[in-house]
Formats: sequence, C-alpha cells, structure tokens
Amino acid sequence: MSAVEHQSQNTGPLGIPEKWVLPGGVALGLAVSIIIAMQMSEQTKLPAAITEKFLIIDWINVAEQWLKDNYQEATRKFAAVIEGGLEWLDEFLLFKPWVFIVLGFALPSLAFGGLRLALLSIIGVCFWGSMDMWDPAMSTLALMGMSVLLSVIFGVGLGILCSQNDTVEAIVRPVLDTMQTMPSFVYLIPAIFFFGIGGAPAILATMIYAMPPMVRLTNLGIRQVPDNTMEAAKSFGSTRLQTLYKVQIPLALPSIMLGINQTVMMALGLVVLATFIGAGGLGDEVWQALRQLNVGWSLEGGLSIVFMAIIFDRLSYAMSGKVTKPALGPGQLEFRFLPQSWDGKSAAIAVERVINAIWHVVAAGGNAFARFIGTVIYTLTRIFSADFAGRIFAWVTQHAFLVTGLALLYAVLLFDQHVTAIGDYPDALKFTLRGPVDRAVDWLVVDPTFVVITKAIRAFTYLYLLNPLVKFLTLLPWWYTIAAFGIVAWLSVGWRFAIAAMLCLFFVGAGGVWIFAMETLATIVVCVLVCVTVGVPLGVAAAYNKTFDTLLRPLLDAMQTMPAFVYLIPVLMFFGGNIVSAVIATVIYAVPPVVRLTTLGIQQLPQEINEVSTSFGSSTAQDLFKIKLPMALPSIMLGLNQAVMMALAMQVITPLIGGRGLGHQVFDALNTANTGKGLLAGTGIVLLAIILDRLSQAWSATQRKALGLD
Amino acid sequence: MKLLKQLTGASLAIAISAMASFTPTTAQAAGKLLKAPDPDWTGGVVTCRLIEFIIADWGYKVKRVTIPSGPAVAEALRAGDFQYACESWPTYSTTKEKFIKKWGGDGSIAYLGEVGVVGESGYYVPRYVIEGDEARGIKASAPDLKTWEDLNKYKEVFKSLETGDKGRLIACPVAAWECKDAERIAALKLDYHPVELGSEAAHWAEMQASYKRGEPFLAYTWEPHWIHAALDLVEIKLPDYSAEAWPASDWAQDITFNYANPDFVKEHPRVAQLIKNMNLTNSEQAKMIYQVDVKKRKLDEVVREWMSQNEAIWKAWVPGES
Repeated sequence: MSAVEHQSQNTGPLGIPEKWVLPGGVALGLAVSIIIAMQMSEQTKLPAAITEKFLIIDWINVAEQWLKDNYQEATRKFAAVIEGGLEWLDEFLLFKPWVFIVLGFALPSLAFGGLRLALLSIIGVCFWGSMDMWDPAMSTLALMGMSVLLSVIFGVGLGILCSQNDTVEAIVRPVLDTMQTMPSFVYLIPAIFFFGIGGAPAILATMIYAMPPMVRLTNLGIRQVPDNTMEAAKSFGSTRLQTLYKVQIPLALPSIMLGINQTVMMALGLVVLATFIGAGGLGDEVWQALRQLNVGWSLEGGLSIVFMAIIFDRLSYAMSGKVTKPALGPGQLEFRFLPQSWDGKSAAIAVERVINAIWHVVAAGGNAFARFIGTVIYTLTRIFSADFAGRIFAWVTQHAFLVTGLALLYAVLLFDQHVTAIGDYPDALKFTLRGPVDRAVDWLVVDPTFVVITKAIRAFTYLYLLNPLVKFLTLLPWWYTIAAFGIVAWLSVGWRFAIAAMLCLFFVGAGGVWIFAMETLATIVVCVLVCVTVGVPLGVAAAYNKTFDTLLRPLLDAMQTMPAFVYLIPVLMFFGGNIVSAVIATVIYAVPPVVRLTTLGIQQLPQEINEVSTSFGSSTAQDLFKIKLPMALPSIMLGLNQAVMMALAMQVITPLIGGRGLGHQVFDALNTANTGKGLLAGTGIVLLAIILDRLSQAWSATQRKALGLD
Repeated sequence: MKLLKQLTGASLAIAISAMASFTPTTAQAAGKLLKAPDPDWTGGVVTCRLIEFIIADWGYKVKRVTIPSGPAVAEALRAGDFQYACESWPTYSTTKEKFIKKWGGDGSIAYLGEVGVVGESGYYVPRYVIEGDEARGIKASAPDLKTWEDLNKYKEVFKSLETGDKGRLIACPVAAWECKDAERIAALKLDYHPVELGSEAAHWAEMQASYKRGEPFLAYTWEPHWIHAALDLVEIKLPDYSAEAWPASDWAQDITFNYANPDFVKEHPRVAQLIKNMNLTNSEQAKMIYQVDVKKRKLDEVVREWMSQNEAIWKAWVPGES
C-alpha cells in the first residue's frame, strides 16, 4: 500500500500529479486524433510514390513462378511419396472391421488412462459410426496420423538441434512464431502448385502449422535436464551423443509427449481447413453441410471432430504421465469408474466392488494368457538358446497387457476374415441429430422475440461500436496511427520494439493494405471488448459457483474444438450477413480463454485474502470489485492476450459470412489463386499479432509487478 | 524409462497390426482410377455424378475432391492432378482465355463440349415484395417494381443498417466470380450498395432467413438453382446483354462446358467422348437439384434414381466400345 500512496503524491512538471500524466496523455492523444479524423473526407493512404514502387504482391508472384518453373518436378515427386503413405494408411483404416478400430482406441486408453478413458474412447469412436461418418472419420484419422508422424519426426529432430546450439535456436524461434500465426489459407494455394491436390499438400500444410509446439517442447525438455545429471553422465565418460540419447532424451520424454499432444490438437484444427485443397474427411462433411445450409448435418460432423479431439487430448495427456491418481487411504477402494469423491455412498461402493471384481478377473486372465504365450515361445526358442528364451519369457510376462491386447486385435482380424465378416458399423446403432437441430434453427430464425433481440444486438454493435471505429481508424492519417503505436510500444515495452512495430506497420501500409489492416484492427478491438463484457462475468460466476463451473467447462471445450464452419451458418441466419455476424462468430471462438483465466485468477487467490476482507465486513460485491478482480487482473489480461490471438486467427474464416479486412484479402487470394496478395495480407495479420501480443504481455507483466505477484 | 518401453510397445503394436494384408483396389491396378473435382454447387455435382456413375460400369473409379471452383481447379487440371472437370460457367471462368484453345488459350486444358445446361444470372426479389402475400400478412412494398429502372424509386425498401440511405444489393458472394456488381451499379446509376457475403452458403442463408421473416431484399442469383424451388423469386430485368455494354448489362447466357487434361483425352478416349456427348437440359438437372436441396435427399441416391427412370436420355450419350 505504501508504494501506491507514495507514488500518488509525486508531482511531475507543471504541478500535475504523476498518476494523471499517462491517462491524460492518452486522452489528449485520442481527442486530437478524433478531431483530425473528423476533418478527413477520404480514407487515408500512403503516398503513391511509395505504394507504386513497393509492388510486393508482384514480386512474390514472380518468385513463385520461378520456383514453379524450376522446382515443381522435384516437389511433385516428394509429394507422391507422402501421398503413397497416406493412401496406404487410409485404406488400412477403412478396410479394417469397425470393432478393430474401436479396440485400437480403447486398449491404449485402458492401459494409460484406466476404465473411464477407455469408455470415453469407445463412446467417441462409436459416435462416428452412429452419425454415419465412419469413412470420413477414417480419412481424417489417416490424414492426421501422417501429419503427426511427420511433424514428430521432423519436430523432434529440429528440437534436438535447437537444444544443442543456441544460434540455431535463435534463428528457429521467430520462424516458428511465424509458422503458427500465419493464416494457413495463405500457403494452401502454393501447396497446390507444388504438391498437387489432396492429401500430400494438406499434410505439408498441416505440418507447417502443427510442428512448432513439437520443436519447442523437445528443445525445452532437453534443456531442462538438470546440470548435475549431465555432469554425472560426463564423468562416466559418456560422449555428447551418448549423453543425448541415454540421458537427455529419455528425461525429456514427458515434455516431448506433451508436444505430441499439442501437435495432435493443432493438426486436427487444420485438417478441417484443408478441405479447401481437397483433403476430404470430416472437414469435408462439415463444409458440404455448410454449403447446403444443413446445420444439423454440419453439427454431426463437428461433434465427430470434437470427440476425436477429446479422445486424442485425454489419451496423449495420459501417455505423457501427467495424470496423478488420488492417494488412497488404507483399505479404501480404488474407484475405477465413478468419481472417487462418491466414496462413502454405499450404492457407489457396491458398483465399484463389482467393477473391481471384474477388473481382477480380466487382469488374471490376461496374465495367464501372457504366461501361456510366454511358455510356448520359451519352449520353442529354448532349443536355440536358453538365455535368450528366458529373456523373451520375462518380457512377455511383464507385458501381459500388451501381449493380450495385440492377441485380441489379431483375433478380431482372424474372426473377420475366417469366421464371419464383421462388416461396417451396424445400422441399428446409427442415429441422427439433423431433424431436431434443423427444426430448432428454423424456429429461431422466425421467432419474433429472438428476432428482436438479434436485431438489437446487430444494430448496437454496428452503429455504436464497429462502424464508428472503422471510420475513425480508416480516416485517421496513417502517420498519426503509426506514431501513436510507436509511442505506446515505447512506453510499454521499449524503444527497440517501438521502432520494430512502426516499421512493421509501415510495411503493411507500403504494401497497399493499410485500410484492410485498420478494418481488421477495429474488428479485433470490438471482438475483445465483447469478449470481456461476456467472458469476465461468466468467469466470475464460475469461480463462485461450482455447479455452474462444471456445466460451463465442457461447453468451453466444445467451443474451442468445434470447427468454426459449424456455427457460421446459424450465426449468419440469426444476425444477417454482415460484419456483425463475423464479430459474433469470432467471439464464440475467442471467449473461452477469457472465461477460463478469469475463473483461474480468482480461484488462485490465497485464502487469507478472503478471510481478511470478510473480517472487515466487506459484502460479496465489495469483495469482488475492490479486491478479487483487481488481484486477478494479470490473469484476466493473459486471457485477453489469448483472445486477441485467437480473434486474429479467426479473421480468415469469418470472410465466409461477411467479415472484412485483411482476412477477406487472404480469402480472396485463396479463391483467385493469388499467392502474393494472400502472403501480403497474411503477413499483415502476423505483424498485427506480434505487435498486439507483445503489448498485451507487457501490460500483463506490469500489472503483476504492481501487485507484487512476481 | 517405463514410458519409453510403453512407447516401443505401442509402435510394435502398430507394426504388427499393419502386417495385416493390403491389396490395391482393382480400379487402381487397371489404371482406371480417375481424379476429378467435386463442384461447389449442387447442379455441378449432379452433372459430375452422372458421368461418374456411367463410367463406373466400365470399371472406372473416380476419386472426388472437394475444392472451391476457380483458378486452383484449372491449375490442377493442367498439372494432371485432375483428369477432367464438369460444368464450367464461361462468364465466371477467369482462366479460359489463358488455357483453352476455343477462347484463344494455349491448349493446356482441353475443351470437352457443352453440358447442355444453360445458365442465366440476374437480380431477383421475392414475389411478396411486388405482389404482397395475404396468407402471410405481407403487404407489397414495391408494387411497381419491374425493371432496373424502377430500383432507385424503391431504394428505401431495400436499405439496411450497413448501407445507410442506399438500398442493399446482396451481390455475387465471391469476388473471384467477377460479377462486377459494383461497376454495374455505378454504370446504371443505381443508388444501391453491393454487399458481398463471402461465400455461397452465406448468400443462400441470408436470402432464406430474410424470406422466412418476410423482409424485402434484392439479390443476385442464377438459374437453374434450387433457391427458385424453395423461394418464390421474381427477376428484375437488366439491360440486355451486349459485350460492349458489359458490365452495365445483364449477364450473357452461360453455355456451360466440360473440360479436361489433354493427356486424359488421349488415354481414355471413350470417357472423353461420353463427356463430349452428354446433353443434360436445365429442366432435367433442376429436377434432381430440387430433390437434393429442397427435399434434402442424398445426392447419389437422387442421381441413381434419375438414371434408372431416364435410361433413354443418358444411354444416347454412351459411345460404342472402341
């Protein structure tokens, strides 16, 4: 407290209290800019002398043509190899009986995550069949499998390189940042030129997007190996390579597994977009449904993707060894299916007893089977070498689950081929969501109350937020905007960054997309405003009410993993085809981190704060607004930072329902196969992302410092 | 360490299950696997599917690839990624002058004859805007609207939040189609603002939602299209098409055509001949589009049904065995 009081007494020049200098300066700058903008009758643009010389779009297209003329043959050959692998995997998955695939997911889930995860996997995989999406789901699996496999191979390799050499790391880092923020639509078209149509370009495009976390986490994991471990390895006379393979990589494995988790999730996100270059699969189902305005159908496809994401997320998380089982008291029954907290309810215990009994019987059976197999192999191999046979026997009996599981999978195949064909997913288990969903949407479109509400939201957002802001930013002279950004960047981060930010903005202007960049900026600002007004109250409510929290969580999960295509059409039908719909779709995608981090920020506050404020007799509202929210501000700021990044990523999707700005330019470029135009606008988005990211992180850090959290 | 072992186990599992037999499909083995883009409008898909189902009897298998129509399809055809493509609308093709000989191109894409479908594009309003709809309680908001010359008189009716005091035209949704709505509006001195919704899906969704709410709108649309079966629309006449006046005129009639990779024409002459021979009329195509988009039936099923009921029509396209 004393530091704050001390500061407020400081006065700057002219006797103005120092704490008024910054807000005053901002207010003055804004007032001046509004006056300037109101004088302008035309949208600002950089002098023609610059934009006419700086023909970056043409330069890129010339370079692309040159690459095409010289290297297309080589890249095509490379693509053919990948395509071959993909087709093999695709057909492999497609022609296996459905029970085989279900077991293929359920068994590893059981091994790493227990009964509950296994059940989730079974439900998830069967959901694809039930929605009649089996074949597309298999295509998506194949596509994702190949992308993830290649991303892991190259990502781990590059990560190891980075971990061994600081220079390599310094070079690779900004490249990874760009790979993650560059809208994928930008490289989909060149991917067609160089790698053809279909699987191969989709896989390569997916790798660009999904590989960075793999590299980062491998690098991080290896670098985090404690020095004394390394010293010990060295003192035993290990070479650098030996240390790497025997010590560093094994110790970095959990981190690498987390990298695989992230890569899988990101790959799944992109595999949907890759339908634009003919990748097929579930993304294609959603896209076809969108084209036919069939909301129910697209929801079926979308939910299939959500299930796939959840299974992969939970499974790879379980495999990374991060799941900890609750400690059990002596004589306490381990709950395998129901929540452990239900312990004490007699019905729950009875159920778990039965499950436990079955569990033990199955485990005993598996062990016996493995012993049997082990003995058979032992007897056969003993003829050659008793020692070798002994080791095999030990291995087989120690891996009873693996051996039994493989035998089970093989048995399914044998049964399918030699006894009776299991065939496709049974029709009896199929059901559809289309009817009810479509009826609900149809009803809402004409429901008078709902129409009034949506019209009001649309009018308010457009008339009072978007339109004035777009007008302001596009009328304001470019040099004023660049200077303002420069000053803000200088004050919040430092002069180096200020210069870099100003150069970036100038680049955008010189390329001739200034107006689009300002439209995007305005959209982002409005999106973030809406995210805060919606997200923070939801987050607070979840922090105070556990039931609400439990209900909200899966919804947030779904909002983040559901492909945006699914909700684009309902949003458009309710709010009309215009930029407001684009904002609303963006908010759906970008609001979850704000909600989550608000809840987290409040829940993480030390218990004493609660007690102190109650002892002073504060009401709940006082407690919230005077203490908890300010203390949670750094966390909320972090949520905002993420919302900004996600909103920017969404800018290339919303042009499908009327979004404007840089994203629309990227989308146009995709439709007209103009790589230069797409790359310029995409770079604009990347540069905006970098600037906004650095600024919001700096603000978050300042807040943390002021609160003494660091 | 345990994790490493488990991972080894997992990869072993994958390897073993992969040993299960794999045989290439018969179509692939016989070199009869073709790749073609699936058009992004229902009419085009119907046309494509007809070809596909006919040649399936000859042992061909077509791998369909969903991809937005436009320059990317042309590039893929030239490179041989696709063997053929169906139903291109000449007005909307920006690459025909570059690649197809018929339009003075370099011949890197072969022209495979007319589809038979003739497209017409134009501006439409719902019938209730002109005549009202008593059953739904909608009054005629623009009773004397007949041609483009009446549009300025009714701009108030069509204005929206975003267009201010101008009327709103729900314009051609994708810039790559080169509809030149903005130029047309300027040249015809219409006090309207073209609003591009970004995708076809958005275009139809906006029209349908507005129609259901009984709101007036002016929108670009073409025929044959299912929207005319779902909504009762009236065309607002534009000045007759002429090459000199374009874009200050109506669209030219779109004599749609099929096109292909030149090597494909040489290697699979019978398929190429079939595609050249095909002649699908607007009304036949519209029947199928209606079943798919309005009746929400599965497209493949509808096309097969049409084929079984109209054998005389499509059997006439089939060339003799060569």
